[in-house]
Amino acid sequence: MRPSPKLHPTAWDALVVLCVAALAIALALFQWRGGTSQGLTAVVSVDGTEIDRVSLEDAAGEKTYQAGAYTLTVEYAAGSARVRTSNCPTQDCVHTGVVSRGGQSIVCLPARIVIRLEGGAPDPDAVDAVLG
Amino acid sequence: MKLTTKQLTLCALLTAMALALSYLENLFPLSLAIPVPGVKLGLANIVTVFALYALGPGEALLILLARCFLGALFAGNMNALVFSLLGALSALGTMVLLSRRRALSIYGVSVGGAAAHNCGQIAAALLTLGSTAPLYYLPVLLAVSLLTGGLTGLASACLFRRLRHTDLMKG
Repeated sequence: MRPSPKLHPTAWDALVVLCVAALAIALALFQWRGGTSQGLTAVVSVDGTEIDRVSLEDAAGEKTYQAGAYTLTVEYAAGSARVRTSNCPTQDCVHTGVVSRGGQSIVCLPARIVIRLEGGAPDPDAVDAVLG
Repeated sequence: MKLTTKQLTLCALLTAMALALSYLENLFPLSLAIPVPGVKLGLANIVTVFALYALGPGEALLILLARCFLGALFAGNMNALVFSLLGALSALGTMVLLSRRRALSIYGVSVGGAAAHNCGQIAAALLTLGSTAPLYYLPVLLAVSLLTGGLTGLASACLFRRLRHTDLMKG
């Protein structure tokens, strides 16, 4: 018979939790460093290949991207972008909502489309902890 | 690996349960509350934790592979296979290592497994998309895995408490 596992949390479990939390915080600090909506460019890629680049300085309007069986309608506004509609099964890209800071991205896994915001002056004030 | 009839039956039963649980968790779309690709409860991880302790790493691996392949086949989505395989294999690998540390309880093992599962899925997304953008979601996924890992740990602990006195755990 195999030894039965411990069924009550121990201090060592807290260490595992701390390690995971520390990794999450470190990655968040590393990636979500500020960024304002000044001088942003939305870079759209499919399967890692760039297919479009839209300056968000004063952009307004919609564009449609197709990849495989999926079509995404992306709405661009000054300083922000969002996926308005998509026919993908998961709809994560639509639920992600508006992105408006450098470094933020919208990923549609089924369509393999990534919309990533580049540029944007670093914001000295705050760490961006807002997602979605 | 030589399986007794009892072990084989238990493996088959657990595979069926894991598949049912993966299907069941679609009814609780956690991703509506946290709109990040890959956020889910990970109920099938309860089966992996249970199999790891009740049967062993080899049997847990068999169940996990059967679950991933059959799950992708049923969903008719072979693209998702690389995600579920990389996620599940990293989770199992991490949990095998963590479970060797006798000081850790089933909770620590489960949380470590859930975190590793998300790392594996992000790795799959990095490979599939050829872009580092998915890394952006990892902090959220790791934070969520503390919660979901704790929950699956709790469920597995309850399971073991109930089954400790049965002969299911012997042999």
